[in-house]
Amino acid sequence: MKRTLLGVFSMLLVLVLLAGCGSTANNANPATSSTTTSSDQSGSAGGQKTFKVAYIARAQSDSFAAWLANAVKDEAKKYPNIKLDVFDGQANDDKENSMIENAITSKYDLIIVQPNNGEAQRPYVEKIVKAGIFAITTNARISGIEGASSVDAKPYEQAAVNARAALTQIPKNAKVVVLNGPSGNFHADERRRSWQAEFFDKRPDVKIVGEQIANWNKDEAMKYMEDWVQANDKIDAVISMNDNMAAGALEVVKDNPKYKDMLVYGVDGTAEACLLIKEGRMTSTCLQNAFELAEKLLDTSNKLLTGQAKQIDIDIGNPLITKDNVDQYIDLLKKAGAIQ
Amino acid sequence: MDLRNNFWSTARKKYSIYMVLVTLFIVCSFVNENFLSVNNLTNISRQLAVTTILAFGETMLIICGMLDLSAGSVLALSGVFAVYTYKMYGSLLAAVLVGILTGVVCNLINVVMISTFKAPPFIATLAMMTMARGVALLFTKGQNILQLGNFVVLGQGSIGIIPIPVVFLIVVAIFTWYILKHTRFGRSLYAVGGNEEASIASGINVHKVKYMAFIINGVLVGLAGVLFMSRVNAGLPNGAINYEFTALTAAIIGGTSFSGGIGTAGGTLAGAFIVGFLDNIMNLTNIDSYVQQIIRGAIIALAVIYDIHSKNRRTKSMLGRIDDRAVEKKPN
Repeated sequence: MKRTLLGVFSMLLVLVLLAGCGSTANNANPATSSTTTSSDQSGSAGGQKTFKVAYIARAQSDSFAAWLANAVKDEAKKYPNIKLDVFDGQANDDKENSMIENAITSKYDLIIVQPNNGEAQRPYVEKIVKAGIFAITTNARISGIEGASSVDAKPYEQAAVNARAALTQIPKNAKVVVLNGPSGNFHADERRRSWQAEFFDKRPDVKIVGEQIANWNKDEAMKYMEDWVQANDKIDAVISMNDNMAAGALEVVKDNPKYKDMLVYGVDGTAEACLLIKEGRMTSTCLQNAFELAEKLLDTSNKLLTGQAKQIDIDIGNPLITKDNVDQYIDLLKKAGAIQ
Repeated sequence: MDLRNNFWSTARKKYSIYMVLVTLFIVCSFVNENFLSVNNLTNISRQLAVTTILAFGETMLIICGMLDLSAGSVLALSGVFAVYTYKMYGSLLAAVLVGILTGVVCNLINVVMISTFKAPPFIATLAMMTMARGVALLFTKGQNILQLGNFVVLGQGSIGIIPIPVVFLIVVAIFTWYILKHTRFGRSLYAVGGNEEASIASGINVHKVKYMAFIINGVLVGLAGVLFMSRVNAGLPNGAINYEFTALTAAIIGGTSFSGGIGTAGGTLAGAFIVGFLDNIMNLTNIDSYVQQIIRGAIIALAVIYDIHSKNRRTKSMLGRIDDRAVEKKPN
């Protein structure tokens, strides 16, 4: 009985493994063939050659990074000459770095790196360039690497567009709460630094009555907000480093008329935030447009691979989404299937 | 004289956790005037409901000498499936059932690995933790599921002034207490956790006990998943990360011993509220989040040290008694 069970179990395990490898096995084929073609790559620019591109994501479990990875995959389908493989850095510098090394060893023609932590990946991106492979860093860019290109949105600016609007919106002597991303995370730190420089330093009258790390998470933000609502007789504004946490704070006070006019700021332009802005419950967010990033990434890749350029550094815009222009972004998200 | 000493020492051993809870409660109410408000207390219970329901599952498993590290991930998977079901069919009942079923299936896989194939619970459930999270992310492509409509009533609604998650918490607490205290299965849990070989020798079907423990855990995790997603008004494949550790913390602070065979439902409930009160008072008084982490860690360390220390004392006093007897028997 036990032996048959063991048999069935191990068969299942093998099956799962094979199924999992099936997709990568397909990828492995061109991998071996392209080692021969990559040597004559420079000569065949503009020809019908297929280029191998590796996209190394920060973490597939981070909802924005996942959105970007999905958008990059979709965008790559528009380029018949580009064959894209996506890798997951699992929010771990060490893992991401070894993935970069593996991609160099597998002789990809171009490697796109979405760093987990820019400085930790810098020497590895330099290795890519040294190996004669095109490198693009994105979200966030690692600047100052000779020969590496970049496509990015600036996390500082994303928070700053909100902060500048908040300068006039947040009332005098207001009490605000701040929800931070994970400590040490580049985007979390940059956005917080931006709020400090663009808003808090200019508005010493505003008092922070609560500030906690909610790790980008809606559930953690809810817990903090529930406690803050008890501890303070009023909260004029919620300043959140991303939309998930802002939505969490709003979830807590959604039926409470006392907080009807509370101002709430986020970053990312997620579907949930756009709907909240549309309902008039959230004040503003800044769109970090994964579609635009993906579009520019593939366009840049194509230009580099076909020899149209040697190095490209471009930024996408940091549009502020408010009640006045939210409809166009909801349309965009509807088209992407994020809102029904 | 001796009798009174004995009475106090048993009382201290048995009820020390509740004394800590009451003391903490009194201290907190002096530290911040908002602590005692009805709103704040319902908030705390609402915040604690999900992790405490998990903690009851963990308590039963730890008593039986096992544990479940996959609880947080399986919770997210159950919740995501439940949310999806609700969005597809609009039926709350179907959603809850799918959530619970998912929890049970994952835990059946756990227990097959543990009881049938003798994998250590730590490793087996660690494997499930990664797998379940992977399935949840794959299923949702890493994106949150939004616009849940009336699904939120389970997590955000109230019956009178009692939030619905708290109603579930009370039911689960009574259920766990009853099982542990008044059923044969409950006693088997203690027996298996206390000494597995002896339980086999005395005719307990250890396999069955372990399967039952994990199935119950599955039901609780599934239920918690539904409540969690409903409370946050979204299907979060990334939700509830590390919730298994919060649940384990509650159980351990509540006096459940990792060496198995010891633990109570009341203790776990008290443990959960001790952590909950502390978290709450630290937020109300706006203590820095780094400092909060240090304090939380220190409390776990203290609880475990206390647990080991009191056990040592128990064995020591037992040895003492034997020594006494030996002394008595010595010829004059």
